[in-house]
Amino acid sequence: MAVAVATLVLVAGCRRDEVQVYRLAKDQTPTEIPTMNTGALPPGHPDVAAGQESAAPLTWKTPAGWTEVPATELRVASFKVNKDGKMVDVSVIPLAGMAGTDEANVNRWRGQVGLSAVSADDLHKSGETVDVGGQPAQLYDITGTNPASGEKLRIVAVIQHRPDSTWFFKMTGDAELGEQQKPSFLEFLKSLKFSAAPAAQAGMPATLPPNHPAIGDMTAPPAGGPVSHEGQPGWQVPAGWQEIAGGQFLVAKFIIAANGAQAAVNVSSSAGDGGGLAPNITRWRGQLGLPPTDDFSATQIDVDGGKGQRVDLEGTTAGKPAKMVAVIVPREGQAWFYKLMGDPKVVDSQKDAFIKFVQSAKY
Amino acid sequence: MNNPILRFFSSVRLTVACLVLGCILVFWGTVAQVHLGLYKAQNEFFRSFFIYGQAGDLKVPIFPGGYLIGSVLLLNLLVAHARYYKPGKRKIGIILIHFGIVLLLVGQMLTDALSIESQMHLRIGETRNFSEADRAFELAVIDTSGKDTDQVVAIPARRLAHSDEFTDPKLLPFTLRIKTYYANSSLMEQPMAGYEKPKITAGLGSNVYWREMPRETEMNRVDVPSALIEIATPHGSPGTFLVSGFVERPQAFQLDGRTYQMILRPQRFYKPFSIHLVEFHHDVYPGTDIPKNFSSRVRLQNLQTKEDREVLIYMNNPLRYGGETFYQASYDPDDGGSVLQDVRNPGWLTPYFSCVLVAVGLVWQFLSSLIPFLKRRAA
Repeated sequence: MAVAVATLVLVAGCRRDEVQVYRLAKDQTPTEIPTMNTGALPPGHPDVAAGQESAAPLTWKTPAGWTEVPATELRVASFKVNKDGKMVDVSVIPLAGMAGTDEANVNRWRGQVGLSAVSADDLHKSGETVDVGGQPAQLYDITGTNPASGEKLRIVAVIQHRPDSTWFFKMTGDAELGEQQKPSFLEFLKSLKFSAAPAAQAGMPATLPPNHPAIGDMTAPPAGGPVSHEGQPGWQVPAGWQEIAGGQFLVAKFIIAANGAQAAVNVSSSAGDGGGLAPNITRWRGQLGLPPTDDFSATQIDVDGGKGQRVDLEGTTAGKPAKMVAVIVPREGQAWFYKLMGDPKVVDSQKDAFIKFVQSAKY
Repeated sequence: MNNPILRFFSSVRLTVACLVLGCILVFWGTVAQVHLGLYKAQNEFFRSFFIYGQAGDLKVPIFPGGYLIGSVLLLNLLVAHARYYKPGKRKIGIILIHFGIVLLLVGQMLTDALSIESQMHLRIGETRNFSEADRAFELAVIDTSGKDTDQVVAIPARRLAHSDEFTDPKLLPFTLRIKTYYANSSLMEQPMAGYEKPKITAGLGSNVYWREMPRETEMNRVDVPSALIEIATPHGSPGTFLVSGFVERPQAFQLDGRTYQMILRPQRFYKPFSIHLVEFHHDVYPGTDIPKNFSSRVRLQNLQTKEDREVLIYMNNPLRYGGETFYQASYDPDDGGSVLQDVRNPGWLTPYFSCVLVAVGLVWQFLSSLIPFLKRRAA
């Protein structure tokens, strides 16, 4: 009998490779990619210049001075701007799934203009939030020189993570013209309308659902919720701290709310020494509106497996007074950053709990 | 029963040995999961007969895998039972216990062989009659020449990995030549270090560069395949296309007066019914961000059975319909869409039955010792 079951298992495995054939009623298939051979669009292809048809998955308002070019290859929309012999190219490219981390993509673009890569932490700070079709997206403005031609090159890139795919909106070209066209680019992004997906839109969620049950497993359904504890050290979270989704660059994020004011705790990690004490202190001072200084002193505190560097700072964010307590925990090959920042009263009341939290982390 | 083989397979020592090996396997597999990733570790350690190691160029089995240990345990249980079975009222308990465990093992093997898990991602207002696999892709070649219907031939991507071509005159009037297949890939619009220009003659065109990527091991990241495929017929070829899991739009070509579309997409499982997402609720505890409940109100429509009803799916309250179970699994960050996990597992009841059998067997066994003992004491 065991042999019979084993055979069934093998056969079933082969069945998974079977070709499926079926007929479907005609539905709205997504716009096809035009074939390369013909210069013109294939018959029946919606008029690209219009871009306003309600059947199209994406509509927009073309800014003045932008010439629309036929969408081809990977691009859903494509524009050129020519002024006084200078040129920029605008592309809209959706890629199914995650399509690489933001850090990987931005560093790739930085490489294209001859700049060195930045760490995930710095990247998070340098990104600007903009509106794309009513939803937030991250904008990175990168200026450098084309390593091949020596010309000043600018890439204004916007990454938006949508439910099924990641959309890349890029304006690449002459640095000055790019600067000039940036407001038009932002208007264009605001004007984008993503219509409700028809039944035929394929694509996978940007990430697998959290607490995803093992394939073939019969355990109870997952509880749901966006917080993933992957990669987190074991620590004791103080009472009153609510964990929320940290996003791309944070290992964990907590919100502490009290009496209408709030503070946040960000936990992140960087390879190596994360830049060291000095650049991070300068960065944190910048976040509080403080000028850089030469004083890079820090208090040493005990943490699991060694010593951490603690920095206390006071300044303002968005015009309001704010305080920060930050701790760098250097470990072999990796540095961990813990930052408590927000309303001064909340930070003061949570300082001790925060230090205890940092000390409780076991890696 | 002096046959040494039967003696071996019925011995308790074999049972103990299998259980010990099982413990080692579970521990080793759990640790290996750290660098292999959950999915790969499951397949290599548990869904296999042997764990293989490299000895030079050869793959050698170095440790029994989950299937082997499970099968031997099952065989051991059955042979031991056959050898030692003595009919009798007192033995009914043992029979029930053994049968319960046999049912558990067999049930789990069947689950592993037959169950299919997929997802249905619905935006509010969207209707779908298919679910998509998490990790498996398929190459869908669709004949769109018909007026009312399309004919879909869906080839699992795994087959593209293992063969150089796909020919089946009953299904398609052309041969698909798989020139290159990358199980995990990356596409770029500009040439970058490590990227090559695939020799495309139709479809995506000239501004695409690709490269193979190492397989993903992190749990929430998925391999996205790409392939270079030539459509070949005896009298010419419409072209060589690059298909990719990254490209959501199909590519079209014409052949012999018929039009076709080709797309590499997550494997689809079509159903005779459709699910429409009416509402999705993400409730939090008042004044906080802590999630309290996720619920999807869906409309289930089956044109064949004329069913049309609304159902509320929420945590721990799935929809069981058509041999499949739909769980509230996840949602879109803007709360505008819901992800349902679709589990088709014909063996889902076996663990319940086997637990009941084992429990009854244990109670019977206990009572059949206890009652005579009490009687003797009373006497």
